[in-house]
Amino acid sequence: MTTAAPLPAARPRALTFGNVWLSLVLLAVMLLYPFVFGKALNFGVATLIFAGFAMSWNILGGWAGQLSLGHAAFVGVGAYTLTLLATPERVPAFFGGPVAPWWGALIGMGLAALLAAVWGALTFRLRGSYFVLSTIAVALVLRLVAINSSWTGGAEGLFMPELPRLFGLDLFDRKVEYGLAFAFVALTLLVTHLLRRSRLGYALQAVREDEDGARALGIDPTRMKVLAFMLSAALTALGGSLYAIYLQAFEPHTLLELPLSVQIALMAIIGGRGSIQGPIIGALLLSVFGEVFRTVFASANLLIYGVLILVITLFAPDGIMGLFGRTGRKLGTAR
Amino acid sequence: MDQAAVTALLQTLVQGLLTGGLYALIGTGLSLIFGVMNIINFAHGDFLAIGMFITLALFRTFHLDPYLSLLVAAPAGFALGFVIQRLVLSRLGDRLNEGSILATLGLGLIISNTLLLTFGAQPQSINVPYATSTFQLGGVQVSIPLLIAGLGTVAAIVGLNLLLYRTELGRAIRATAQNPLGAELQGVKTGHIQAIVFGLGVAFAAIAGVLLMPLLYAFPTVGENYTTKAFIVTVLGGLGNLPGAVVGGLVLGVIESLGAFYISNNYRDAYGLIAFLLVLLLRPEGLFGRTVKRV
Repeated sequence: MTTAAPLPAARPRALTFGNVWLSLVLLAVMLLYPFVFGKALNFGVATLIFAGFAMSWNILGGWAGQLSLGHAAFVGVGAYTLTLLATPERVPAFFGGPVAPWWGALIGMGLAALLAAVWGALTFRLRGSYFVLSTIAVALVLRLVAINSSWTGGAEGLFMPELPRLFGLDLFDRKVEYGLAFAFVALTLLVTHLLRRSRLGYALQAVREDEDGARALGIDPTRMKVLAFMLSAALTALGGSLYAIYLQAFEPHTLLELPLSVQIALMAIIGGRGSIQGPIIGALLLSVFGEVFRTVFASANLLIYGVLILVITLFAPDGIMGLFGRTGRKLGTAR
Repeated sequence: MDQAAVTALLQTLVQGLLTGGLYALIGTGLSLIFGVMNIINFAHGDFLAIGMFITLALFRTFHLDPYLSLLVAAPAGFALGFVIQRLVLSRLGDRLNEGSILATLGLGLIISNTLLLTFGAQPQSINVPYATSTFQLGGVQVSIPLLIAGLGTVAAIVGLNLLLYRTELGRAIRATAQNPLGAELQGVKTGHIQAIVFGLGVAFAAIAGVLLMPLLYAFPTVGENYTTKAFIVTVLGGLGNLPGAVVGGLVLGVIESLGAFYISNNYRDAYGLIAFLLVLLLRPEGLFGRTVKRV
């Protein structure tokens, strides 16, 4: 694959600029948020983290077209790795004692990528529904391990220990967390933009649209999908580490169950799979709706997710971004 | 092995087979839907929850014996499935494969959250005198509600087979499963058949819910766990393979019981998942299937 451009890569260049501008506008809005809604920083941090999850999911789900309903596994890997490695009682002195959170986050990313590599290499041979089913099973197995192992705190979960300061900043300060969550979203957005113009990005779109055709062009579909999966998993785990700091205490139930996986996938899908900014818009929309409905329906706030996903699936299969016509349309939706 | 160990093993196997029968019932519904429509129903466990809550509501309101609720829950399940296929799934067109995953996920969320709004989050059970009664069979204790559930499962599966292989409708269903276009050309209204099949699948899940109610607590998200069980059963048996689903259900029940008894009860749910992953990786056509049905 020397000239890997088997897809409608020759889109008008102006479109790319449009996309970049939309990303910059979104980032600017996010930057202004704390100054306008300083009292609702909690909501802001959570929304940004979920936007980052959805962007990370989109690399596999949107670009490679592989529906994962197990991304909670990677959130869990990130959260547990950072927390366990930062807790002195959990890391024997033999191994050098607790690890600073940023190293913990990096190790978590590595572990998540490793898990994705093994899992992807094994399951991407299977087509269609089998991959989806396997993602659910892997996440559930991790959840069972987390519940039943004493090292992971069992069903009660873990408390975040004292953390060293990052450049003198207190990691438990919501403003600092907002900044980190913003950086996380900016990073996933940057990766997506780079991916769009990269060999991997083109190859992924080719595989998504026509796997056999892509193979005929010399693309190794399994390899491309595994790479996308690893990237997606590592970024999700990074967000998971951040999420753990934000939550300060968590249990397997919140971090490793199907609803979280579904929520992440839905944000990306509702916003627009395979589009660049769709996942951010989906995360924003669902967070706002979720928050509103939480006050009305209390714990039944996921009802709105159900209704939205049904409406979107039936009437706007390309998500919110798909509604905006050409500019937002799923890249290369050549049917 | 001494006498006590043999009795314990027999007890575990009986328990496993009876529970497995219920899994088979749930899995058969899912497999039927997959076999004919080529879609995976992610709301399957939530339809089971509907069966449970219908039983609960009828018991609370009219003191109706739980097993009589079958007369309401099975037709209600069928009607619900029929309508959902007509209103939602039939509109997905060529996006059926992925669209159906999302649509049924959405439906599942709507169902579980509606149940939550209606009945609250508190786990609820019904008090029937025979709920905890057992009888002895050569030293092995058999739970009566579990036995009734097992018999109900057999009856439902026999009934489905009679329908599929002895009636004109069954012929049409099998034709639709094998070759939708060919069936359509022979005058089979495949859209109608698919709606009937989805209705049957949902009815099976609802029946399983009724049969489970005397044994378990009902709560709005109870279905999640059973959706997973149904996936495991159908993958063990081979996606879309009906006899496979029955055997898969029994295998899952026995694996869980043996694992829970001889290894650790904490990992009860893990044994099935691991078997599921192994089969997925090593024999995606299922334990007994010959060819992989292209998805």
